[in-house]
Amino acid sequence: MRAYRALGRNALRTVLTYRASFVLNQFSAFFQLLALFALWRVLLASGESFAGFTWPQMKAYLLIAFTCGVLMSTHGDFRMAWRIRDGMVAVDLTRPVDYQRARFAEALGAGAAECLVVLLVVGGAIALTGPAATPTPAGALLFTLSLLTVLPMKFCIMYLSALLCFWTQNFLGVGLARAAIVSLFSGALVPLVLLPHWLQTAAALLPFSGTTSTPALLYLGRVEGSGALGLLGVQLLWAVGLWWCGRAAWGAASRQLTVHGG
Amino acid sequence: MRAVDRPPGRVRALRSGARLYGRCLGAHLRASLEYEVDFWLMIFAAVLYQFVPLVFIGAVFARVPDLDGWTMPEVVLITSLAVLAEGVGSLLYEGTWQLPWTVNQGELDYLLVRPYPVVLQIASSRIGLNGAGNLLTGTIMFAWGLGNCDLDLTPFGALTLLVLVTSGVLVKFAIVVTATSASFWLVGANVNLAVSLHNVGDLARYPLTVYHGGLRLVLTVLLPFGFVSFYPVAAVVRPGTYWWATVVTPLVAGLCVLLTLRVVRAGLRRYESAGA
Repeated sequence: MRAYRALGRNALRTVLTYRASFVLNQFSAFFQLLALFALWRVLLASGESFAGFTWPQMKAYLLIAFTCGVLMSTHGDFRMAWRIRDGMVAVDLTRPVDYQRARFAEALGAGAAECLVVLLVVGGAIALTGPAATPTPAGALLFTLSLLTVLPMKFCIMYLSALLCFWTQNFLGVGLARAAIVSLFSGALVPLVLLPHWLQTAAALLPFSGTTSTPALLYLGRVEGSGALGLLGVQLLWAVGLWWCGRAAWGAASRQLTVHGG
Repeated sequence: MRAVDRPPGRVRALRSGARLYGRCLGAHLRASLEYEVDFWLMIFAAVLYQFVPLVFIGAVFARVPDLDGWTMPEVVLITSLAVLAEGVGSLLYEGTWQLPWTVNQGELDYLLVRPYPVVLQIASSRIGLNGAGNLLTGTIMFAWGLGNCDLDLTPFGALTLLVLVTSGVLVKFAIVVTATSASFWLVGANVNLAVSLHNVGDLARYPLTVYHGGLRLVLTVLLPFGFVSFYPVAAVVRPGTYWWATVVTPLVAGLCVLLTLRVVRAGLRRYESAGA
C-alpha cells in the first residue's frame, strides 16, 4: 500500500512541477463548457425548459459533466500508450507492484490537482452566472457516492483503451474513437434523455452513462427512491466489472508485448 | 525548350515548391499506409468524432426551430466549415505541430541547410490520416447544409463561397503556424499552448451571436476563428447583416498569412540551435 501511496504522491508532484502545461491541458474541457454554457443559456432564456431542464438545472448538469470530464484525465491513456509504444512498459513490468493498481494510484494522485481545477471553474461559473440548482440531502449523498464511483470507472475505461496499444501501432485513432464514444454515451455532450430512442437504448446497455449521466441525474433528483438506488447499483456493478475486465485484458496484453532493441 | 517558352522564374519556383511539398507528403502517406489497420481506424475515428457533435445539434433542433435565429442547416454549414478546415490541416500541414519539439531539440538545424523553405519542410513532415475522415464528414455536412438552407446560389455566389471557404482554411493555417511558432520564444518543447489556442476554435463551430460581446470580439480579432467558419456562412446566408464579411474574410486571411510569415521569419532569426 505504501508503494501505491508513493506513486500517487509522485504523480501529483509531476503535475505540480509542470503546472503550466497541466492548466493548458484543461482548456479543451473548459472551452467546451464555455460553448455549451452559451448555447444552453440562449436556448433556456426567459425561463423556458427543455425536456424538463430549467437553466439552473442545466447549469448544474454542465458543471457536473465538466467535473466528471476533468477528473482522472491527466495521468491518462496517452501517457500509458506512449510507454507501451516505446517499450518503457518493460521497465514497469519489472517493478514489484501490480500494474493496474499502480496506474490507478497515479491517476488518483493527479486527481488531487484536478479537484482544484474543478473547484476553481465551478466556483467561478457560479460567481459569474448566478447559482445553479442545489440537490436535496438524499440527492447530495447519492451524488457523492456516485461521483466517487466515477473515479474507478473512468480509470478502467481509459486503462482498457490504452491496453489496445499492445495490438495497434498508433494510439491516436483509438483515443479519438474512445473520446467520441464516451462523450456521446456518457451524457457529457448532451443529457441522454435528449437523444433519439435507439441511442438511448444503446446508452442504457453500455457502461459509459455511469461516468457523467448517473451522478448528474442523482444530483438533480431526476430519479428518486428505488430508481436512484438502482442507478447507483448499476454504476457500481459496472465499476467492479470493468476493473476485472482490465485485469483479464492485461493478462492477454502483456503476453502480446514485443520490445525491440535496447 | 527555348528560353522564351519558359514560365517566369517565380512561377517556376512556386510550381517546383508545390511539387516537392506533394512528394514529402506522399512519402509520409506511403509510410502511414503500411499500417493498414491504423489507417482505417484513424478514418473511422475521425468520422465518429465529427459525427457526435451533430447528434447534439440534432437533439437541440428536434425541439426548437432555431438557435438564436439560426436554422439547423445554417448551423450544420458553420460546423462543416470548421470540420473541413480541420481536415485540410491534418492532411496538408499536420507536421506544423512538430515545430515546438524540433526547435527545442535543435533539430531545426537539419532543415536550415536544405534548399527549401523551413516552414514548408516542417508542415509537410507528417500526414494526419484523420484528415481524410474529417474531409469526408465535412463535405457531407457541407452538402447537406447547403442543400437545405433555402439558398439560391448563382455561379457568382458559388465563386464567392469558394473564396470565403478558402480564406477560412488560410486563417486557420495562419493561426496554427503562429501558435506553434511561439516555441521560438518559449522555453520547453511544449505544444500545449498551441493546442489550447487551437481548441478555442471549437467555439466557432456555433453561431458567434450566442456568445457575449467580449468572447465574440476575441474570436473575431484576437484569434480570428470566426473567419474560419462563422463569418463565411453568415456572409452567404445573411447578406443583409453580414455583407461586410464577404470583403473582410479574404482580407483577414491575407493579413493573417502575412503576419504569420513575419512571425516565422522573426522566430527563425532568433533560433540558436540547441546546446546538446
